[in-house]
Amino acid sequence: MSQYVCVRIPRMDDVDIGLFDYDRNNTLYFFILNADEQIYMRYGGRDASTDTYLHLSSLELALEQGLELHRRYLRGELPRQQRPQPLFPRQIPLLVERTLARNQCVECHLIGDYQNIHREREGTLDKLIHLYRSPDIQTLGIYLEVPLGLVVKEVRGAVQEAGMKPGDRITRWNGTPVWTFGDLQYYYDKVDRRAERIRVAVARGGEPVELEVALPPRWWWTDLGFRQSSVDPRVYFESRPLTAPEKRERGLQADGFASRVSSVDSVAAMLKSHELRAGDIICAVDGVERDEIAHTPELFIKLRKTAGQTVTLDLIRDGKRMQMPLRTLSMSFRK
Amino acid sequence: MQPRNFILPVLLACLPGLAQDAPEDRIYWLKDYREALREARQTQKPIFLEFRCEA
Repeated sequence: MSQYVCVRIPRMDDVDIGLFDYDRNNTLYFFILNADEQIYMRYGGRDASTDTYLHLSSLELALEQGLELHRRYLRGELPRQQRPQPLFPRQIPLLVERTLARNQCVECHLIGDYQNIHREREGTLDKLIHLYRSPDIQTLGIYLEVPLGLVVKEVRGAVQEAGMKPGDRITRWNGTPVWTFGDLQYYYDKVDRRAERIRVAVARGGEPVELEVALPPRWWWTDLGFRQSSVDPRVYFESRPLTAPEKRERGLQADGFASRVSSVDSVAAMLKSHELRAGDIICAVDGVERDEIAHTPELFIKLRKTAGQTVTLDLIRDGKRMQMPLRTLSMSFRK
Repeated sequence: MQPRNFILPVLLACLPGLAQDAPEDRIYWLKDYREALREARQTQKPIFLEFRCEA
């Protein structure tokens, strides 16, 4: 560590968040960069758990790679990155109003949340990008040998079909060099949500191998449970899509999102959100039965409705058709 | 408030040269980014930057 200048930033007030862009729902995040503010790599990233991808060995590896990249930079061997447009917390009006003006700490996750509220008010919020951040690589079938950084431990699904193999080390993600899981997750997040394929390069036995991975439907979906996001309508139930025969039997649209409620959070009754029960079949939301993206009613609500809105569910309970109001709730993100 | 992550700070303390019982090897964390840039320029070292939410 003596080969690094180490700096710890606990407050975001004066940070150029345009340069230091990352998923703000990480409580710890690291950058390796140089005095010219050229970023070599990121270390961090998460899934529903905070520490799935954090490991002492992978951090040591990243630090070693950072030193090597720095030597290459000093020798003029690395292309110069274009600095992103600067953005400071004081340029986000809601953040100023609710934290800076009150002399409160600008917490990392508040930056992302206030940005999203602002986008929602402006009409520029794209939930696939701004709400479903940091897609899960396991959706593609990538399981990493975490202590070894980007070495693949197990492959399934889309990447297996594309030819990825255990032991491969991921080196580029859609054209961008990646050194750590933090890099990989960051650049995966930058993939156009409507993309159907991505390019992944791996090192296999020292040789480069290029793969083209077909992205599965809803590849961008991630667990939002840990995110304190005010633009996420909370619904407090989960459901599973009906099978084609189940839909046919009930006269429901074959390409609709009709689903059977599998679980209901007790919070729903406490907060008077709805009176759904496990086993109910939700056929439509506000009369809509299908969606080009959503395959379940809860995803439809999360994508198409705003937090705090009340919708009408068409459902089947014990074989009888009925309607039920559902009031979505907004997460309170302040302590 | 999100759950805090205590794992990595512990890991950082275990990195070679960071042992808490060896003060001469302990990591010296700057708290000022501009100062870190200056020091990195003077020493030609790279920067290890940590963002940590302590709220």
